[in-house]
Amino acid sequence: MRLLTKTSLNLLSISLFIYLFGVIAFYYSLRVQVDSNVNKEMEKRKFSIIRQMAEAHDSVSQPPNRNEIMLVTPVEKGGSPDRYADTLIFNREEQRYQLFRQLGFSETINNQSYDIRIFKSLEETDSLIVSIIMTMTILVILLIVTLLVVNRYSSRLVWSVFYDTVEKINKYDLNTHEDFALKDSDVKEFADLNRVLITMTERIKNDYLNLKEYTENASHEIQTPLAIINAKLELLLQAGEMNEKQYKALSDAYEATIRLSKYNSTLILLAKIENKQFPESKNVSPENIIKRLLENLEDLIRSKKIEMVYKIAPDITLQMNPYLAEMLIVNLIKNAVRHNIKGGKLVVELEKSYLRISNTGPDHPVDESILFKRFYKSSSSPESLGLGLAIVQKICALYGFGVKYHFEQHMHCLTVLFNGNDRIGLNNGLI
Amino acid sequence: MKILIIEDEKTLSDSIVDYLDGEGHLCEVVYTFEEAVEKIELYQYDCIVVDINLPDGSGLDLIRLIKKRSITVGIIIVSARNSLDNRIEGLEIGADHYLTKPFHLSELNAHLKSIHRRISFNGSNELVLNEIRLIPDEHRAFVLENELVLTKKEYELLLFFISNKNKIITKAGLAEHLWGDHMDAADSYDFIYTHIKNLRRELLKKGCKDYIKTIYGLGYKFDLT
Repeated sequence: MRLLTKTSLNLLSISLFIYLFGVIAFYYSLRVQVDSNVNKEMEKRKFSIIRQMAEAHDSVSQPPNRNEIMLVTPVEKGGSPDRYADTLIFNREEQRYQLFRQLGFSETINNQSYDIRIFKSLEETDSLIVSIIMTMTILVILLIVTLLVVNRYSSRLVWSVFYDTVEKINKYDLNTHEDFALKDSDVKEFADLNRVLITMTERIKNDYLNLKEYTENASHEIQTPLAIINAKLELLLQAGEMNEKQYKALSDAYEATIRLSKYNSTLILLAKIENKQFPESKNVSPENIIKRLLENLEDLIRSKKIEMVYKIAPDITLQMNPYLAEMLIVNLIKNAVRHNIKGGKLVVELEKSYLRISNTGPDHPVDESILFKRFYKSSSSPESLGLGLAIVQKICALYGFGVKYHFEQHMHCLTVLFNGNDRIGLNNGLI
Repeated sequence: MKILIIEDEKTLSDSIVDYLDGEGHLCEVVYTFEEAVEKIELYQYDCIVVDINLPDGSGLDLIRLIKKRSITVGIIIVSARNSLDNRIEGLEIGADHYLTKPFHLSELNAHLKSIHRRISFNGSNELVLNEIRLIPDEHRAFVLENELVLTKKEYELLLFFISNKNKIITKAGLAEHLWGDHMDAADSYDFIYTHIKNLRRELLKKGCKDYIKTIYGLGYKFDLT
């Protein structure tokens, strides 16, 4: 629930509760007030009746007011106290009961005791109370609604800075090298929040850049010592007479150095792709790259007795960095050749919307979630670096291509969708 | 061939000199941009091997200087930066080859040999080694006037062996030479073995002596001794 909705709801429920309580209390206090007024009036009336009766010898005129009724009954014994009560009287003309206030008392006038009851209609005062309550209700509802609307509107204005900040944090990417600019706010809390956030992101960014620079420099600096180790080992090999054990040790060291250097240069490449350090973009022909590459690997493919199948649509070009285009295709095909089996099959499919490399291999599907992970290696080729498909994925991510794996008819298929994760291509029976 | 090696990493330049020793080259080594400029202006070299990142300048500037003075010399760049831009720039301004550190000395040697062939015979050359004769421009090889039937890779393999004759060539070095650094070395060892087997069979069939020696699991040697 949004903060605004939450506070509005709280405000609404509490004010409704208070209002309800207030109305009831108000009603009763009005009632009490009105009753006491009526009582006082009736008291006055009582004395005027007694006076009239005493003067007019038992006869008393009915009150001129329709809202008042008087009942005079002669009784044998008087002296009972004043009795106030509410009562309903049936109005014959209007065919309904009406609320009356009643005062009963007994009085001895000229030696005759009378029981006198005065009724006074509460109809008018009642309708007055109701109309007061109604007016109040309408006023209070108007007030609450206005408050809510104003509160909502002003909150929205005030919180807009906050929502803007949230949006910016959400979109913030350390790799984009964009400045983290936040809106100014005259609300102290938000200004504080933004200030702290900016300081924090600046610090994180600087740490990140330092770390990245360090890694990149380290990677580059490592290449020279590696070159020296490599060269010295190669020289040592030439030095001559050594026994098999020594040769073996040298050979292992040499291999390890080469692997280290390959890891290093591949990680540098991955970092460069992440840093978008390949800005140049050209029309490249995947077909040409595939042809060139397969020519280079021709002997390899032949010696593995791999059957090649090409389904290449003509004149397809991609707008991307030529080097990355080559790295993408090289790694896909290299992967398909490496994990292939002797006498297997390799299918290269190129369409306007996708490139698919399918190959035979271990006859079970690979878990897609770990396939693209760095340093993931299948058990069948422990010597591989496990970085090829990570490069493929990074390049695809850079250009917004989708990359999918599936296993079908004993073939491992890797598909690069040039229109991102567009499922249309997949629904057309392509997968 | 007179070679100038410009590489600030002393141990590396020494290694290069050591490897080239006995190839009949005259190697000179300098460690800074300044020294290199001095040498280039004073003496005539057939080939220079230059590092891009020198302590007091860029190897690329050195190449530009050489080209400006119209000095005819083969140029091989060695650089720790495997940056495509550097590579393209280096080759565009007139370098013959670009090697990324770490590189195989056998690879450097093969490049030097090809430059050597180009400058000493003006391109139209033949490479004769005992009973073997290579015509690099035409990608053809003969043994006692019998033409060898070789695939492109096998031909490259033979040329590489001859460039590095009497030296042990590691499998990794061979793999990189044949397939570039795209292939992971480990993948291609089986294929190297297949290629070598085919090449050796073809050489023997055409009456060549068996020069190719296997050195344990380590590599091969084109042994003429």
